[in-house]
Amino acid sequence: MTSIGARFRTIPTWQLTLGIALLALGFLIAAQLQSEGPRVTYTSQERAPLVATAQGLQAQQDALKAEIVSLRSQIATIEQQGKGSADQVRQLNDQLAAARVAAGLIALHGPGLVLQLQDSTNPVPPGDNATDYVVSAKDVRTAVELLWLAGAEAIAVNGERVTASTAILDIGGSLLVNSAYQSQPYQVSAIGPADLYPRLTAEPAFQQFLRDRGERFGIRIAFAQPPDVVVPAYAGTINLRNARAVPSGSPTTP
Amino acid sequence: MRRRSSQLSIALVALILGVLLVVQLRSQNPGGGLEGLSAQELTDVVGNLNTRNEQLRTERAQLQAEVQQLAEAEARGENSVGQLQSDLLRIQAWSGLLAVSGPGVRLTVTGPIPGLAVEDLLNELRNAGAEAVSVGGIRVVAGTVVAGSGGAVSVEGTPLGGTFEIAAIGNPPSLTGSLTRAGGMMAQLRATLPEVELVVTPVDRLALPATTRTLTPAHGAPRL
Repeated sequence: MTSIGARFRTIPTWQLTLGIALLALGFLIAAQLQSEGPRVTYTSQERAPLVATAQGLQAQQDALKAEIVSLRSQIATIEQQGKGSADQVRQLNDQLAAARVAAGLIALHGPGLVLQLQDSTNPVPPGDNATDYVVSAKDVRTAVELLWLAGAEAIAVNGERVTASTAILDIGGSLLVNSAYQSQPYQVSAIGPADLYPRLTAEPAFQQFLRDRGERFGIRIAFAQPPDVVVPAYAGTINLRNARAVPSGSPTTP
Repeated sequence: MRRRSSQLSIALVALILGVLLVVQLRSQNPGGGLEGLSAQELTDVVGNLNTRNEQLRTERAQLQAEVQQLAEAEARGENSVGQLQSDLLRIQAWSGLLAVSGPGVRLTVTGPIPGLAVEDLLNELRNAGAEAVSVGGIRVVAGTVVAGSGGAVSVEGTPLGGTFEIAAIGNPPSLTGSLTRAGGMMAQLRATLPEVELVVTPVDRLALPATTRTLTPAHGAPRL
């Protein structure tokens, strides 16, 4: 089987295989280099079980949140069908439906914009602080505050609804929003007036944010204006262990 | 000879390819970003997730009990007014539509503090479990921002002046502990804004007003 014809067939085959393999190799090397990024990778032994534990807990959290949203919607449905003196029940139900929307317990959709923040890809010059080149909780909080000031009426960060009790914290190079772990890209979705974007960019504080974080450190700040922005419902706890409601009309003496 | 060397190079390339593929797959998002964290940070994430999941389980249990009560009341043909009213009060109090009272802390701020630093304090209070917060007597709700440069901060269009109070309802020791811990927000602000004075006092009973904002969306619609 060493005829000339056979050799013509065999050589191209391995050349082709080699060619494809080298091509794949090139892609992989490029992908690998890209995914290395500016982040530090740790290699200590104790990390693997911790990562697994955190992933397990995160999965539990996602499941719990889904259950809570579903239970709340069940309650709303049962309440809507509630018996009782029809007028009073209907009135209460209307108030409840409005309160749930106002509290962020119902997902909203509408006009608005999505701001996206990503870590800088600039090399960190010697003497500079590497954390300045990473999106911080403060950056995301600033974006949220500026969007509120520009007229946003509902905001979520990577799908976590921003409520009166939402804290946004740094954890390593990533964030906790409503105590849920979030990594970049951070997408701040805001529903608001149709001119939310021009209003935002007209704010001197936003321009300063672009200069201080975007231009100075290369934090990547981008925006999108999808036709319909969705802001999910708050899926966390309604913590009122110490606070008591003071129904309107009651005296509020300190 | 030529065939053997070609086989060798293919084998070699395949080997490198395999190694790179494995490395690549491993570095591609197995932990959803958790891979980049140190052991200490991971311990914090795990601790935080544990606490949070415990809270969510309590919330779920409450909601499950509520569903059961509602279903039973309905089966008995009873009126659900009581349940509806308590639900309404709870949601309105939490969102800021109703005034609330309870124990907590009062934080007196004196000096030219910028709005962003006030927001840092509010974020810290929320993280410490504050259930309701007011700044300068104005209830902080979703959308409330304390803005402005040092000495000219305002909230909801009301200037706060040189001295103002942040009131937060919650567990007083937790709130105080979180604000005053070493390296905490108060320590950080004292280091960066030495001219600003911060005094935190635990209080047995605070009364916070309802918000004057309309929380009903004008642009967004419920997504059913």
